[in-house]
Amino acid sequence: MTPASTLVATLAVRDNKSYMEQALTRNFCIIAHIDHGKSTLADRLIELTGTLGREEIGEQVLDSMELERERGITIKAKAVRLNYEAKDGNTYRLNLIDTPGHVDFSYEVSRTLAACEGAVLVIDATQGIQAQTLANTYLAMEHDLEVIPVINKIDLPGSEPERVLEEIKNVLGYTSPDVLLISAKTGQGVPRLLEEIVRRIPPPAGDAHLPLRALIFDSHYDVYRGVIAYLRVVDGRISRGDNLRLIGQDTEMEVLEVGYFAPEPRPAPELLAGEVGYIATGLKSVEECRVGDTVTSVSHGAAEPLIGYYPPKPMVFAGIYPTQAEDYKELREAIEKLNLNDASLTYEPESSPILGHGFRCGFLGLLHLDIVRERLEREFYLSLVVTVPGVSFIITRTSGQKTTVVNPSDFPVPAEIAKIEEPWVKISVITPSSFIGSLMELITQSEGVYKHTEYLGHTKSTGEFGQRVRLEYELPLRSMLTTFYDQLKSRSRGYASLDYEFIGYREAKLVKLDVLVNDVPVDAFSRIVPPERAHDVGKAMVAKLKEVIPRQLFRVPIQAAVGSRIVAREDISAKRKDVLAKCYGGDITRKRKLLEKQKEGKKKMKSIGRVEVPKEAFLDVLKLG
Amino acid sequence: MSHAIALYLHVPFCRRKCNYCSFISYEYREADIPAYVSALKGELVRRARGERVRSIYFGGGTPNLLSIKQIADILATVGSLYIVEETAEITIEANPGLANMAYLTAIRELGVNRLSLGVQSLNDAELALLGRIHTAAEAREAVRFARGSGFDNLSVDLIYGLPGQTLGDWRKTLDEAIALEPEHLSLYSLTLETDTPIWRAIEEDSLPDIDPDLSADQYELAEDLLAAPSYGHYEISNWARKGQECRHNLAYWQNLPYLGVGVAAHSYLDGHRFANTRSLDKYLADFSEKLPPVLDLDEEISPGLQLAETVILGLRLGEGIDINNIKNRFGIDILTHYNRPVEEMADAGLLEQIDGHIKLTRRGQLLSNEVFWRFLPG
Repeated sequence: MTPASTLVATLAVRDNKSYMEQALTRNFCIIAHIDHGKSTLADRLIELTGTLGREEIGEQVLDSMELERERGITIKAKAVRLNYEAKDGNTYRLNLIDTPGHVDFSYEVSRTLAACEGAVLVIDATQGIQAQTLANTYLAMEHDLEVIPVINKIDLPGSEPERVLEEIKNVLGYTSPDVLLISAKTGQGVPRLLEEIVRRIPPPAGDAHLPLRALIFDSHYDVYRGVIAYLRVVDGRISRGDNLRLIGQDTEMEVLEVGYFAPEPRPAPELLAGEVGYIATGLKSVEECRVGDTVTSVSHGAAEPLIGYYPPKPMVFAGIYPTQAEDYKELREAIEKLNLNDASLTYEPESSPILGHGFRCGFLGLLHLDIVRERLEREFYLSLVVTVPGVSFIITRTSGQKTTVVNPSDFPVPAEIAKIEEPWVKISVITPSSFIGSLMELITQSEGVYKHTEYLGHTKSTGEFGQRVRLEYELPLRSMLTTFYDQLKSRSRGYASLDYEFIGYREAKLVKLDVLVNDVPVDAFSRIVPPERAHDVGKAMVAKLKEVIPRQLFRVPIQAAVGSRIVAREDISAKRKDVLAKCYGGDITRKRKLLEKQKEGKKKMKSIGRVEVPKEAFLDVLKLG
Repeated sequence: MSHAIALYLHVPFCRRKCNYCSFISYEYREADIPAYVSALKGELVRRARGERVRSIYFGGGTPNLLSIKQIADILATVGSLYIVEETAEITIEANPGLANMAYLTAIRELGVNRLSLGVQSLNDAELALLGRIHTAAEAREAVRFARGSGFDNLSVDLIYGLPGQTLGDWRKTLDEAIALEPEHLSLYSLTLETDTPIWRAIEEDSLPDIDPDLSADQYELAEDLLAAPSYGHYEISNWARKGQECRHNLAYWQNLPYLGVGVAAHSYLDGHRFANTRSLDKYLADFSEKLPPVLDLDEEISPGLQLAETVILGLRLGEGIDINNIKNRFGIDILTHYNRPVEEMADAGLLEQIDGHIKLTRRGQLLSNEVFWRFLPG
């Protein structure tokens, strides 16, 4: 007898509807690397359970944001309830909870996993295990989830299920009969997967008669009903009109609506222990109702949260400015709107003599930054200047006072600094062995500290480049922020995959590198670098500025300096010639138009220390890695 | 009595289009010249209001593609409609590759008293690069023909700043041009116009980029070399023996009225700048349908803009602008009105004030656009 059917038998004796339903419930998520087929599999499950017809599915159901669909990334977790009639004659309630696929959102992933009893691990039959998948699978194992590995895309000509099977066996320890072969696209193997979900994933434990405890694994803001919280009820029950409290944040709210998704929201009378669904809270901001917190009743509620609640801290910071100063107000409104649904995005106003008024924003990681930037540009039609991303430093002053600095221009002068600490990450890179040398060189240059190598075995797709290897390093997050990922990809011809996790703050030897244009320091160009890199970075920056700043009517020195010490210098010689020669057949108008254009061009320039610089020039340098 | 006008006649035909040229001129259309001359005369009739004419200028294109008879015909038409002053300067631009003694003698006799030869270079490799149809030897010969046919007011056009042209190459062409003893020299920095063959060649890297600093050196070399044989540097790109400055072109720089007839010709009359269609076919069609040539441009120049244009054009001249002259013409004290740009540009060493005049410095001539845009209104 399987564990599930034992429980059905036991609970059936109690003759209690809620226990019966609980025994027939399966809560699970799908873990997959980008493009390995998570969304396609979700669609197929929805179709095969009859929740929606194929033509109704159309676009992939779970990825509702346009950006997600384009990038193949799921940003916000959602849940769908599927009713499945299994071969044993019972109708099961399958709650499929979507997980974000990217490392920046590992906090959200861990909360999603905490809401499940099982996970379907999807691995592409043509590509094998990727670094992030591995990280998320380990996370699932830590949460005691029942993992069902499936090898997807077996319909593709280049697929190598045997090799991938071997890799899964080597790395994760799962062997043949437990690993399913499927094609989410054609549906091959998916009916069996449904049976395995029912058979292998345990029903939720928990007791509907205990005080309420429910875990929020996602939330979004709805203009009509306030914050909608997605939750997993562990103990107790939630009905409309209940007065609830968040244990971690101590927020109170009234339940305006209870329901589940199938896949569109369906109001229900109540959610019982073991169920997954949503509540409408009327709260005004997701910040009051954040992922990871535990919901209980205001009266006679539970005292202990389900898991430790902590809001995820932004790790990466960048200045975001409107290209046109007059768009500042729109930018502020746009960021405020995004923040309603994305509590991990932080923002504080800042201003720069060159860039004007903008915001210093905090992000979970680089992808998060990219997504926010793209959404601001695409959904709010803003033209933005985004400064080079940086990390938050903890600086202990000689006075003993500790401060967190997220903007290089706030760095104290060297004499006032007693200690600098910066965030470090552990990275895991999976790559074909041919690229190891080049990647190790990159990581070492990026101040990486070697930890571990692991051999995963061969696959055909990477065959000519040797077997797949996992490298583990520790390095400052700062070193990963600009060109690291692009270089990792180019040095491995696109084969390497990367995962990282924050491991804490470590002491660092760093200096602030300033750039002076015509003897005037330009704060937007300041960088925090190790002292031994100051010369090289400074040289690259002044060279780039020399290239992009047009010649002026006078000679312009461009200098990079650490404190008062100049580490690099270039001079832009004065412009000598700007003349229209021939006055052809009296065409004065054309001449004047050219001068008018020149005048217009000057208006668009930013001026620093009498030097007129086109805005694009700044952007080019700000983008410099 | 209003000012006498300068009269420009455009001849939009060339044997072959030069590699740098974006002017309005057509190759392989010489068969249309007779019809064009009729249309040109038609436009002269249509526009004539009996004005006095202080200069006539046949520009192109290649005006010496017109026959002696056609030139005579056009000049007779002008003479019958306008009061051509006794002292009028009558210039024809000529391609040295198409100039011969008989032709030059004949047009000199028709009253053409100034010849502007498009020599461009005295280096055959450079002439080939530019796509000119003549050699350096033919250019020298054209100068001899000009002298032999009685032209005592001869101008030579040269181009510098060519891709790959060294300071030494330029010095050689200049020295040889000076040895020809023209009364007038126009030196133009090569302007890369989009979609010309030479522009494409540079885009495609089959020719080297033009180094603006080298062009500046070439300009300054010319200033030094021409000062010795006592040419006056009377306009940014023009040098002449005293008294032989081009009267026609001075009308543009002094912002005086002019009438242009022919395809793409520009006029400035009664505070309006206007220009005929750039299409030869349209121009011919309008004439045959007894319509006035359609205009590509017609703008009224506001008093503010007139002032700015007068200052900008006047600053091109070696003597600069006469502060009193501007006061008389516009009732404005230029030093007060343009206080900011004048001071800023003087501080930058691009403008100077001498004897009641404001003029570009030697450095300012090469950076004149930087000065000029600051005088635009708005």
